[in-house]
Amino acid sequence: MSVSLSYREKTLYASLAAELVVYVPYFFLHQQNSLNKVAGMIVAIIVLEIVLQLAIAAFTRNRVTDERDRLIELRGYRAGYLTLAFFMVAGLGILWLHASVGRIQLDNRMMGLHFLSVFFGMLVLADIAKTAAQIMAYRRAL
Amino acid sequence: MPAIRNQIRELRARLEMTQQDLADRVGVTRQTVIAIEQDKYSPSLETAFKVASALDVQLEQCFQYDPGGKR
Repeated sequence: MSVSLSYREKTLYASLAAELVVYVPYFFLHQQNSLNKVAGMIVAIIVLEIVLQLAIAAFTRNRVTDERDRLIELRGYRAGYLTLAFFMVAGLGILWLHASVGRIQLDNRMMGLHFLSVFFGMLVLADIAKTAAQIMAYRRAL
Repeated sequence: MPAIRNQIRELRARLEMTQQDLADRVGVTRQTVIAIEQDKYSPSLETAFKVASALDVQLEQCFQYDPGGKR
């Protein structure tokens, strides 16, 4: 049985597409990241999200959201939080491990940018996990 | 068997009401009506009352609780 997508589902697919289009090139295609690229990425995701959400709102007549949407949203946030917590603990563990054997120098000039990339990456993964968990919940009916 | 079952599909058919009609009357999405009908989502008490009211029946005629059912 085919089930049409609700307004919230369409916005979630659009968000996931925007996240993948912007974040994948940043994290996997560029060897050298910089503050300018981080700023460009943030601007790109904001602009892309606004354009996609406006387009969906314009072409969707029924924009009702209900209690099930809110429940699914909460489940998504839980998945996002757990993902972020996992990567934060893992990241800090790896950092401690490398620092204890002297493989990283915290006074290195590039270290700040490196940390920025790593922590931003964790946020991105958590955000993708949140959106994916919500989409999965919709596809399973909850 | 799910813990909460319902007769929404049958009651809706009796009134020749579409899923979208019911969704509009209750104030939920059609996808939520589908999920409730398929016993995949148990609505809040308020929504359950609204569904029963829209179908012009008592709550227990629309929803039944099975203590031995899975949720």
